[in-house]
Amino acid sequence: MGLFDRVFRGSDEMFAKAEADVNAVVAELGENAPMKMPDTAYYLACLYSYLGIKVTTLGELKAALPAVKAMMTREYKTKDIFTSGVGTAIAAELIEACKYARCENPYEGTKYHGHFSDAEVRTLGVPLVTRDIPGFVVMIGPAPSKEEALEMVKGYQTRGIFVFLIGGIIDQLEECGITMNFDVRVVPVGNDIWAVGHIISLVVRAARIFGNVEFGDYDGFNTYTFDRIFAFVNAYAPVPDITVACGAGAIQMGFPVITNDTNDMWRVPKSLIINENTKDWIETSLEARDIKIKITEMDQPLNYGNAFDGEIIRKGDMRLEADGSRVDCCEFCCTKEASEIEDHAIILDGPDFDELPEGGKICLTITAEVSGKAWHTDFEPVVERKFHHMINCLEGVMHTGQRDMIRIRVSKAAFDAGFRAKHLGEVLYCQIKSEYEAVVDKCQIRICTRPEGCAEARAEANKSFEARDARLKSMTDESVNEFYTCILCQAFSPSHVCIVTPERLGLCGAVSWFDAKATHELDPNGPCQIVTKTRCTDERLGAYDDVNEAVQKYSHGALEKVTLYSIMEDPMTSCGCFECICGIEPMTNGVVITNREHAGMTPLGMTFSEMASMTGGGVQTPGFMGHGKQFIASKKFLAAEGGMARIVWLPKALKDQLSARINETAKELYGIDDYASMIADETVVTDDLEGLMEFLQKVNHPVLGLEPLM
Amino acid sequence: MNNWDELITIEQMEEATRTLLENGEKVGADSWQQRAKNQTPHCGFGESGTCCRICTMGPCRITPKAPRGICGCDVHGIVARNYLRFTAGGSATHSDHGREICHTLHETREGGNYQVKDPEKLKRIAKEWGVETEGKDIYDLAHEMAELALLEYGKPFGTQKFIKRAPEHTQELWAKADIEPRAIDREVSQSLHMTHMGCSSLPEALIRHSLRSGLSDGWGGSMMGTEFSDVMFGTPKPMDTEANIGVMDKDMVNIIVHGHDPSLSEMIVFYANDPEMIALAKEQGAKGINIAGVCCTANEVTMRHGIPMAGNFLSQENVVLTGACEAIVVDVQCIFPALGPLSKCFHTKFITTSPIAQIPEAEFIRFNAETAGENAKAIVKMAIMNFKNRKPELVNIPQLKTKARVGYSVEAIKKELDGVCNSHVDEFGSLKPLVDVVKSGVLRGAVAMVGCNNPKVRPDTAHIELMKKLLANDIIVVVTGCSAQAAAKAGLMDPDAAKYCGEGLKRVCKLVGIPPVLHMGSCVDISRMMILASDVAKDWGINISQIPLCGCAPEWMSEKAVSIGNYVVATGIDTYLGVDPYTKGSSEVTELLQGENGLCQQLVEAHFIVDTDLESLGDKMIAGIEAKRAALGI
Repeated sequence: MGLFDRVFRGSDEMFAKAEADVNAVVAELGENAPMKMPDTAYYLACLYSYLGIKVTTLGELKAALPAVKAMMTREYKTKDIFTSGVGTAIAAELIEACKYARCENPYEGTKYHGHFSDAEVRTLGVPLVTRDIPGFVVMIGPAPSKEEALEMVKGYQTRGIFVFLIGGIIDQLEECGITMNFDVRVVPVGNDIWAVGHIISLVVRAARIFGNVEFGDYDGFNTYTFDRIFAFVNAYAPVPDITVACGAGAIQMGFPVITNDTNDMWRVPKSLIINENTKDWIETSLEARDIKIKITEMDQPLNYGNAFDGEIIRKGDMRLEADGSRVDCCEFCCTKEASEIEDHAIILDGPDFDELPEGGKICLTITAEVSGKAWHTDFEPVVERKFHHMINCLEGVMHTGQRDMIRIRVSKAAFDAGFRAKHLGEVLYCQIKSEYEAVVDKCQIRICTRPEGCAEARAEANKSFEARDARLKSMTDESVNEFYTCILCQAFSPSHVCIVTPERLGLCGAVSWFDAKATHELDPNGPCQIVTKTRCTDERLGAYDDVNEAVQKYSHGALEKVTLYSIMEDPMTSCGCFECICGIEPMTNGVVITNREHAGMTPLGMTFSEMASMTGGGVQTPGFMGHGKQFIASKKFLAAEGGMARIVWLPKALKDQLSARINETAKELYGIDDYASMIADETVVTDDLEGLMEFLQKVNHPVLGLEPLM
Repeated sequence: MNNWDELITIEQMEEATRTLLENGEKVGADSWQQRAKNQTPHCGFGESGTCCRICTMGPCRITPKAPRGICGCDVHGIVARNYLRFTAGGSATHSDHGREICHTLHETREGGNYQVKDPEKLKRIAKEWGVETEGKDIYDLAHEMAELALLEYGKPFGTQKFIKRAPEHTQELWAKADIEPRAIDREVSQSLHMTHMGCSSLPEALIRHSLRSGLSDGWGGSMMGTEFSDVMFGTPKPMDTEANIGVMDKDMVNIIVHGHDPSLSEMIVFYANDPEMIALAKEQGAKGINIAGVCCTANEVTMRHGIPMAGNFLSQENVVLTGACEAIVVDVQCIFPALGPLSKCFHTKFITTSPIAQIPEAEFIRFNAETAGENAKAIVKMAIMNFKNRKPELVNIPQLKTKARVGYSVEAIKKELDGVCNSHVDEFGSLKPLVDVVKSGVLRGAVAMVGCNNPKVRPDTAHIELMKKLLANDIIVVVTGCSAQAAAKAGLMDPDAAKYCGEGLKRVCKLVGIPPVLHMGSCVDISRMMILASDVAKDWGINISQIPLCGCAPEWMSEKAVSIGNYVVATGIDTYLGVDPYTKGSSEVTELLQGENGLCQQLVEAHFIVDTDLESLGDKMIAGIEAKRAALGI
């Protein structure tokens, strides 16, 4: 049978199931019953994206069926298999949606993930941009053996590829006992092929959030995914018609399918690739999707990859732990003279891991000493902050915290694989040299596990940390001569430009002014370009002609002007991967801020996802603004509108994280003590505006004395 | 989405032509548009092929009252004889072009006017021909090959060497039908002999020899012309250029090259880039020297140097009418004698260069391989010195210009396809990726569109509209000759044009990085298409006649086109014509050529389809391609 007929049969099959399921759920719950996918502002995202149809009730769900059917045309042209394929994915979304109509979390208690929240989609922004996640694979079906399944997934993980799993391969991996969840970037989405609807839902939301593709713009979504989302499919034999139909949709989106099924299967270059040697699929797939992965050779025994960044090592699995909150620990990057450094030297002072008691809490300090002609001491914290990621990418090693508050755990498995102290040094050395080759000429790593040595090293480092903090504190937007652009995100969000200043870091939270400066020096033609600040037109707003010119240039004309300190007048745009979203609350004249991690409701009656959907993709929406967490405590935050006195509500966890700095700034700005306690959180009020007002009056919140916002 | 109107339309081009004709009126210029009117209606006997003037007993014209000529030949014999003579004219013309190239190859030398630019290709052909290449000086090899090639024209025994490139099945068909081409000159001579008074009048024999004479062109003279041009001037590879009348530049010395043989134009291009010449041009008040081409000479230089294409066959007068053409330099074929008087209306120098094409009111600078450099330099200089004679009030260059990516030799196509191969599963250097997209149905098939313009068809309309229709139906189009320029002028060779195509073709273009219409060269380069079809058949494991592929010449006019039609059909490719050949007068000949089970179909598994209705011609091609798919079960 021809490829086209297989696609047509498969899409008919998926549609028939969707139709039956929708009819059944409507019969059961009635047309007026609500239809809402959890934690998303985008309705049924596939349906909404490709067809522009918003579904909020089961009646609307049913009414959408003919539009999906209409995509499944049958004229034996590629267009027909493409639209039928996308229609199949939408039908899959409908089938899954029926489950969510009956129950808010149908996969609770199962091994399957099901629906992805908007917050999860947004966390992908930064790693996609930085190519920490160079691509996505959707693996379908059982692999030839569970050992092979494991080998493949590990292979993808070490390359940083995000893995979605559907079908029997999930059971195989479960038998192997590996961790599968969103954080480790191996997600068991569902058992049935219609789970693919969740993946496409994630994909189209990424296109909307980062690319601002218009809903209903079928071609726009396909162009975005083809050009910017580096996904591909691995489908194990036997591949039934229904999977072939989903594959046609994937190919329309630009995602090649690699399979070992030769039965009634048709090769299409760069799109449908038959390779019977399934063990060769990783390289076949990466080549098919033009994904190039930079691998740094390191002499150490563990798997290494971004996928292990989110791995958690529990106490029971731990061979040893360094905990800066209990004993002397620290990590530190410092500048030395070239003559003081022997490149690639890794110097261990004290007992190695195998000489330390099992399960013990050890002292550990790690110092990277660097020299270079183009090196600058301002780069020290930039590089140092990367230690976390560099170490965390080791499978079996967990790293949290920074400076002298680090915690490092080494698992038993990693230890048994031969991982020792010098390997920490090896990893840091190789990664520093590879990532910062433009500025680091020589680098040596000192590791100390001797308590006295650690105490000394910690004291030494703390002197530097204090000096750095003092310098940072003195750094204001006024004290520097230039700002920087950051257009790292343009790979995904083509019309967004961040302007990074000392007091306003990038909205993703990942790019401080120093980072931008370092990035510029590392790559003078790269994403961070100098923006002069000689032509200020309004100090209150933070409006500069220089800034506007830069924004016009780097947004390719999409944006005219932005201000640095206002949410109401030409606020800065967002790519979509912002840490926080701030929106005005008209009744209180204040603003409400929520962050990606906070799943709950806000007093605006919107969740993070819903607020976030108001902006993003480089769009300017006065009254809404994405920003980094640290910006909240800055004196420049909403400076044009009266500063942080406007903040009436913050999620508690975020508030706790920032309260010290918030209080300090508020004291300085307004002379108020303990300002953080005047800001409401979800323990005070969620979406009850009157309750919020009462609270503000009770604490005599400074917002009550400010000019109206609008 | 298929909003082709964003491209340059026929109407825009016609409007440009109208303003140019107005320019002409100011100076009393004649035009082909006027002459075509004057010549209409055409002679009905001539058009139906029923007039015989091969001997002086006649001319005999066949009517119901006079069904036979004086010698007794019936209408079928007369029509078939005329058809074979027409074919022989085309075959002789293409092949003689090829012969000139072989002679030029013989003139190549290290540091000379002509050199071997693609030694690998020369060696490859030498190996095919069983010529030892090891340890041989490349120029010795070139001369040896040139002599062997020239022998293909008159060798007493054997058949054309290049026919071994065809799939075995095709070779068997030719042998069985007794149409394997022998010496090229022999097939032309025999055509004239067979049609001489008192020789053949059996239509079947005459048509069979038409196929043979055509094959001696396509797999002989033309193929040598293409292959050895590549050896000397480089095998084309993709490059970006521009097309349409707006490529002429009012601030530059505009030199138009026109005709077919690249030997001259290669030299002109070389000297136009000479710093001494550029300095001279600046001295004369121009910003520089701009070379643009018309007709197949344009194709030759655009394929290898990205020289812009000003227009095709029926644009040749337009370039002079701009009033900004300092010189129109011609070699051979398809040159309107009208250019003589027309150039006199402007300051344009009309320069003929070949003893084969000598035209009144032209300046003749005889071009020789030995003196090519001097000749070319003299011509460029003459153009430069003519810049000051331009009449500013007559300068009108319509601002129509499109981007085009050209240069798709078979070698280049394979190279492009390598780009979509996966090193883990595919072999490189083959046409298999193309076969796979067609087999799977992502592309429905391919059409090789070729040929001229003809005032009987609204110029370029058939080419452009048929292409758009095919592209929208996921059928990829490969082109040569004036068809190629029609596509380029309309913007169909801009890779960006892929967005107007069917989804399958759009995707293929995006992945491979090609425009939807591939420029394969000049009209002799239809030989490239024969190699492409042969290699597809081999890579697929089927016969050429089974490939969902057809040929099409919707606006053809010349004898060469009939010769081409014969070899394309004889190679197993159904060929669709938009202009009637002079065969309407004979039902028998029509059946032999066009019958679904006629002689051609029986001998070579393909036939002609003639339809002067554009829409229906397009529908028939698509139906033909789908029928071939169905027969293959795909």
